[in-house]
Amino acid sequence: MSAPPADTDFEAVARAGRPGRDPLRSFRAAVGLGWALEANWTDPLLFFIYSVAKPLSSALILVVMLEVIGGPAGREFRPFVVVGSALWTLVVSGISGLAQAILEDREHYRVLKYVYVSPSDFLIVLMGRGVARLAVGAAGVAITLAIGVVGLGVRFDPSAVDWPLLGLCVGVGLVAIIALGILMAGVCIQTRQESWSYPEAFAGALFLISGAVFPVSVLPFAVQSLGLLTPLTWWLAGIRRALFPGGVDSIGGSGSAFEAIAGHAQPTSGDIVIALLVTGTLVTLASLAVFRWSDRRAKQAGLYDQTSGS
Amino acid sequence: MATPLDLVGRSGPGPREAAQWSAGQVLLTDLRAIRGRAYPRWRGLFREKSWVFFEILLPFLGTSAFVFVYRALQAPIEYVGFVVLGGAMTAFWLNVIWMMANQLYWEKTQGNLELYFAAPMHFMSILFGMAVGGIVLSSSRAVVVITVASLLYGVRFAVEEWATLATVFFLTLTALYGLGMVLASLFLVWGREAWHMGQLLTEPVYFVSGLNFPVARLGFLGALSVALIPLATGLDAMRQLAFAGADFPIGTLSPLVEVGILVVMSLASILAARWMLVAMERRARRDGRLTVRWR
Repeated sequence: MSAPPADTDFEAVARAGRPGRDPLRSFRAAVGLGWALEANWTDPLLFFIYSVAKPLSSALILVVMLEVIGGPAGREFRPFVVVGSALWTLVVSGISGLAQAILEDREHYRVLKYVYVSPSDFLIVLMGRGVARLAVGAAGVAITLAIGVVGLGVRFDPSAVDWPLLGLCVGVGLVAIIALGILMAGVCIQTRQESWSYPEAFAGALFLISGAVFPVSVLPFAVQSLGLLTPLTWWLAGIRRALFPGGVDSIGGSGSAFEAIAGHAQPTSGDIVIALLVTGTLVTLASLAVFRWSDRRAKQAGLYDQTSGS
Repeated sequence: MATPLDLVGRSGPGPREAAQWSAGQVLLTDLRAIRGRAYPRWRGLFREKSWVFFEILLPFLGTSAFVFVYRALQAPIEYVGFVVLGGAMTAFWLNVIWMMANQLYWEKTQGNLELYFAAPMHFMSILFGMAVGGIVLSSSRAVVVITVASLLYGVRFAVEEWATLATVFFLTLTALYGLGMVLASLFLVWGREAWHMGQLLTEPVYFVSGLNFPVARLGFLGALSVALIPLATGLDAMRQLAFAGADFPIGTLSPLVEVGILVVMSLASILAARWMLVAMERRARRDGRLTVRWR
């Protein structure tokens, strides 16, 4: 039998468990818990409708807007808005998942302090909860895209898809979305009243600058530059390029900020991948730093065992 | 003397009847309840500084996204105005869904609902107080969205009938918050599904209400929305009155007809809310389960 660690600090004792195996078990348990909280108690039909209705309605609003103004000429934008609004569901799920886990456990179920002192890494537990919500969002995305192709006249050719680009963009983009969720979780640990709407409000701000439903070049020059700094802009552009090669791009164009920075009007697939990797890495590192700082401050100020009654 | 066990399952007089108050005392208590329930909402407007940023500025950015969609399509300027007006009205719809319809369920989980049932005022005054506070809160957001967006995106309103526009706005809020009162009772009975229902009543309702485009573009679905959803009716009437001279699709009802629909909606929803609350209050006292948390 191994001797107990000399360090009596609780976290050090918890970390002395089985490295690699225990975090995985914590993660799995947190995903299961997230799913149980989110969905397994609900009426399956209502849950299915709810999961699909939101992204589908967002896409339909934009499709009607295109029809009203562009008529038949606006149909070339349909894949653009359907993909953008469907994928944005995933962004909102990912960004709000971790923050909502903190708020629910702190304000609603009032168990955050017990979760925190359990011998699992707090961040791993939160990520597990967030992944459960992300999975629900991903199902909504898939169904919305399928309805877009079958019911909204979006022309999709599987043989034309750039699968390596799609795989790379999906993978790196998901990491970046979870990182943004960690960032919002760090913020919500510190904020008190009315924090519930912060994640969606933050996602709403990113919606404006990321080229989700209109090309970034429509924005003022300074805002375009801000948009190019977020990994979500490159993620959306990459997935659109992979799924619909030759379609409308969300980045670039004559006189755009991208052209001023890169020297050419349209980004190549290589440009998109490199920019996604760079911005994704920076956002991930910054989010982890903010979360760790927020965690330290919350422990010092006793924020984990307070409720704000919101 | 009755023991606690004798009272189980008995549907006795409510707190108001037990108090044996005069009509004046009842009225005064109800008015105090309205003020008391509205107070946290309008007071919170000034106390929570971060609220200004998250509740006003960031939703404004969401509205701006749709403005840029129309700009990308080089749409006529009145369409940008349609989006701005729609963005302002979403403040009220979100308030109705999350701070009226869902509120009683949240009050239950926080343990306040049983206090409301035990207190000697009419439950309608609690809901009315929520509505008054919510209207003040949402109006600030709506005013900011309209003012800033009009200045920033060059929206020009062309109002010829101010009195009709004000009447439509007032009736729309009455019908919206009346619907919120009805939904509050329903959501309480639906329990944990309330959150999902709230989500279900957001984007889908935006779509069928024609938030960013004239609702008549949706054909039969649009007509159905105008007949059933106050947001669709009010928004369509206000657009016609705020952008006089703009082209509206065939099938758009005149604002006066929509005023009539809003009057019917307001009366029906308030009467339905009153009936549902009485039924719920009776059930809460009879079964003793409606106020049990986590259900």
